[in-house]
Amino acid sequence: MRPVCTVDEVFQGIQSAKSGAVDFRTNFFPVRERLHLWIAHGELASVDCQGVTFFFRKDRDFWHFYFCATSLASLQREATTLSELKTEPMVTDLVGSEPGLGEMSALLQCAGFRSYARLQRMARAVRWEESRSVCEGLQVGLAEKSDGAAILNLLERSFNHYAEQLPTQAEVELAIERQQIFAVKIAANVAGILFFETHGVTSSLRFWVVDERFRTYRAGSALMLYYFKTQRTVRRFTLWVNTENANAILKYGHYGYAQDGLMDHVLANKMIPS
Amino acid sequence: MKSVAEILNEIRPEFDFASSTDFVGDGMLDSFDLITLVSALDGNYGISILGTDIVPENFQNVQTIEALLRKNGAGL
Repeated sequence: MRPVCTVDEVFQGIQSAKSGAVDFRTNFFPVRERLHLWIAHGELASVDCQGVTFFFRKDRDFWHFYFCATSLASLQREATTLSELKTEPMVTDLVGSEPGLGEMSALLQCAGFRSYARLQRMARAVRWEESRSVCEGLQVGLAEKSDGAAILNLLERSFNHYAEQLPTQAEVELAIERQQIFAVKIAANVAGILFFETHGVTSSLRFWVVDERFRTYRAGSALMLYYFKTQRTVRRFTLWVNTENANAILKYGHYGYAQDGLMDHVLANKMIPS
Repeated sequence: MKSVAEILNEIRPEFDFASSTDFVGDGMLDSFDLITLVSALDGNYGISILGTDIVPENFQNVQTIEALLRKNGAGL
């Protein structure tokens, strides 16, 4: 694989697979701004094959694997012979409705991947003004620059970094700067956080977590209610949750989230531990 | 056969699509929603939208979606 040095290289790679495609297939939906960040940190690489451009994004101790293929056949041919899949720890995501994912999942399993986790999307529509009040007694506010390390540490202790798209240090810092992380502090500790991205009338909750030591303080509830209260222009809230995390799904249901039918099949190769 | 506006309202009833000319830019549709929308459009119009056409600029508003449908053989 070779390092990607410019955003244009990415879009040229995608376009190269798209041009003349009979049955274009991809799991890569990059946002230009995020690409800039990955490239600036030397985290993005690619491999051009016949009819397929593969992209790899370095994340802690593994790579995220993406493909842009002219057809299912070309993807099958090139993925099964791609040496990186045999030598590097790789994780890939397939997003779609449950019935539509089987074919692609089977193809990637022939290329050395196995099913690793499944995430489901949940959504919450708002058709009226929020009336619930924020919990009294706890101070919820924007995370500060000095909280960055504690936030990343909390995320890494609480989530599976192979399956749940954890942010990098740079992404956490950027999110704090952009006021996308709310925090509850107890005795000068970051007790809980809610990390979100609002785009127009939709807000995506990326992470909502309370440190185990502070779970009796109702910090999670305070964070969620504060989040809803502050996102007044939002009409749709979404999130992704691991299907095995029954406790979280129950809690999200309590706040009005419901499964919307979209699934993310996370696949890992044999170099990723079970 | 349902209209594009009816399909959009079924998929995302919480939004007023008539008030926007840039569904993606205004946060009404994201890249994942396009997957759901394409599936609904394919089923409704009996077509198969090309993967190469599934790009945000083709889903900016009702007019661009209708142009996409015509290009893919839908009789509107």
